[in-house]
Amino acid sequence: MRFATRTALLLGKTIGTASRAFKFGGGSTLPGRVARRLDPAFVSDMVKELPLGCVLITGTNGKTTTSALLASILDRAGMTPVHNRTGANLMAGIASALIREADSGGTLAGRLGLFEVDEAALPDAIAETAPRLVLVNNLFRDQLDRYGELDTLAAKMKKAIVTLDPSRTVALNADDPLVASIGSGLEQKVLYYGIDDQKYASDTMQHAADSKHCAACGGRLDYDYYLFGHLGRYRCPDCGASRPETDVAATHIEMLGMEGTRCTLRFPGGTCDLTIPVPGLYNVYNILAAMTASLALGVEPDEVLGAVEDFTAAFGRVERVQAGNRDIMMILAKNPAGFNEVIRTLTFAPGKKTVMLALNDNIADGRDVSWIWDVDFEMFRGRLADVVCSGVRAFDMALRIKYAGVGEMSLATEPDLAKALDAGLIAAGRAGTLYVVPTYTAMLDLRKTMVERGLVTPYWEDN
Amino acid sequence: MTVRIGWLYPDLMNIYGDRGNIMTLVQRCKWRGIPVQVDELALGARLPEGLIDIFFMGGGQDREQKIVCRDLLEVKGPALKREIDRGAAALVVCGGYQLFGKYYRPFEGEELTGIEVFDAYTVAGNKRCIGNVVATSALGGPSGTIVGFENHSGKTYLGDGCTPLAMVSVGFGNNSEDGTEGAIYRGAIGTYLHGSLLPKNPGVADFLIEKALARREEGVRLDPLDDALELKAHDSAVVRARKTH
Ligand SMILES: [Zn+2]
Repeated sequence: MRFATRTALLLGKTIGTASRAFKFGGGSTLPGRVARRLDPAFVSDMVKELPLGCVLITGTNGKTTTSALLASILDRAGMTPVHNRTGANLMAGIASALIREADSGGTLAGRLGLFEVDEAALPDAIAETAPRLVLVNNLFRDQLDRYGELDTLAAKMKKAIVTLDPSRTVALNADDPLVASIGSGLEQKVLYYGIDDQKYASDTMQHAADSKHCAACGGRLDYDYYLFGHLGRYRCPDCGASRPETDVAATHIEMLGMEGTRCTLRFPGGTCDLTIPVPGLYNVYNILAAMTASLALGVEPDEVLGAVEDFTAAFGRVERVQAGNRDIMMILAKNPAGFNEVIRTLTFAPGKKTVMLALNDNIADGRDVSWIWDVDFEMFRGRLADVVCSGVRAFDMALRIKYAGVGEMSLATEPDLAKALDAGLIAAGRAGTLYVVPTYTAMLDLRKTMVERGLVTPYWEDN
Repeated sequence: MTVRIGWLYPDLMNIYGDRGNIMTLVQRCKWRGIPVQVDELALGARLPEGLIDIFFMGGGQDREQKIVCRDLLEVKGPALKREIDRGAAALVVCGGYQLFGKYYRPFEGEELTGIEVFDAYTVAGNKRCIGNVVATSALGGPSGTIVGFENHSGKTYLGDGCTPLAMVSVGFGNNSEDGTEGAIYRGAIGTYLHGSLLPKNPGVADFLIEKALARREEGVRLDPLDDALELKAHDSAVVRARKTH
């Protein structure tokens, strides 16, 4: 190990210890930020200590769930990962994970780097970690104020992927045309995954849809059907590009409302039936992604399936919490596509729901809240008993619900999250369930409230 | 009498929740018992003469904007200008606003020619103007302000043939220099405030509906609506905008 790397590591460790001891926060990225400033080659040098190399997981939706699931599969398979599990998905977060998992001599506790990477940070991450596998799950319009245009973003991602050694692997979602286009013409091995079932497809695109044009020629795509936002089966009438055949796929999908989803998984050399205990087609994609990645890394299918079956809501973005004689089910929604899928899932199960919608506009949520007008809240028509709107932008959310014309339910607005939670629980009634749909920072604040009330354990804290 | 809304290029120019503006126009007509209809005006479609009361166009990515520019020049532009001169209302946002001016000049590549509804031109700026906006406007309702979110790098400069929609107190506006935001020419409004402009600014929405009705019948007055929630959302967004800048 270079002297500069060693110095940066020791300084990073000291800062990490201090920030935990004095609780001045920033523990998940500050050590990495400092180490990289001291030694710009810190990450590229540290990852050489990983005998099994690095894996990068990116995409707008599901990268946290996918990489957490992949981490548990790899753990089970003895390929202990070094994982930036706190959602710190920029270069400083990766550097911090390496610092946390290294001893002061630079020996890492894990054998493989598993990094969840922000879409915009992928080119840097590729340059610094030379990954053996890059997985792109999807590209949705998310905080556009941060990224600029999706086409440009995909082009930058591809430009970085092309520089990888031809022996490396790229795993792509076949159902997302922009993501699938990254794979065309690559020298590297490309694996595609997707949903080969149109039972829950629709023939119209949800309004949140993003990718309508062929990435190769700019022509307008023809869709046979849509599954989730702009994901579906498509083809370009102008240049003939079309949805690639899948290596790993989900078929025979059965949605069981909030209980989860049943499906058959098809992979090279076998099939198996699986019940996924968390709802939503987006979780099917996350499982397909984790499965494709682990098979590509050489994990045996049986081991993959065992780990997938143990998949619980605890490390997904759905949390079930008991609050006295009521249940809280909290589901993160941070952009139109994800939000639409949450609404679709909520309205699958019978009965009118009591729902709390919490909209914040902090930097991590995206300052711009106009995206809520791209969410199809109209799907809630006739399906709601009560709605409580909360968060910094509670009134924006309430206004969106008003204009959605969802019918004769009671609509309350309470910006204070803790008070709104109380109002929601009262509205849910004895033995009822309150469905809470927060944006990212609203979710963090709500968790804090629940911890203070002794409702959940703070497992997400950085340690 | 049905109010007809013409949504220009809904599949190409619909970014940042632009359709929230259409929803607002539709609901505010419905709540008043005014029949309303939305016609989608896609690429290649010709404008029906004298039938559309309110035109709407949102923003788009660069590629979409180029495609739309061509269609405006070749198919819809002259008719749009004629309809607006005959009293039709319009709301055009971001990219749509730029194309309703004289031209948009990028740093490199060819200039996009606009349809000149607004006496205004746009040049590429080197910094992106992103953030909440508060601006004083005659269409600002009880508070005299409009509030929204901008995200653009183009800098638009107005000539004498149109007036600014508003004067910014928080945010960048047309060009970060002269304090103006947006433009008004007759019943047409151009603005950089995207997405949910109309829901939180019911005064602007009702201006458009009033213009639409006035086309058919003189001296029509709109019934007032219960805008308590709209105004609360407006006021809390104003407070938030001042805090985040
Ligand atoms: Zn094509």
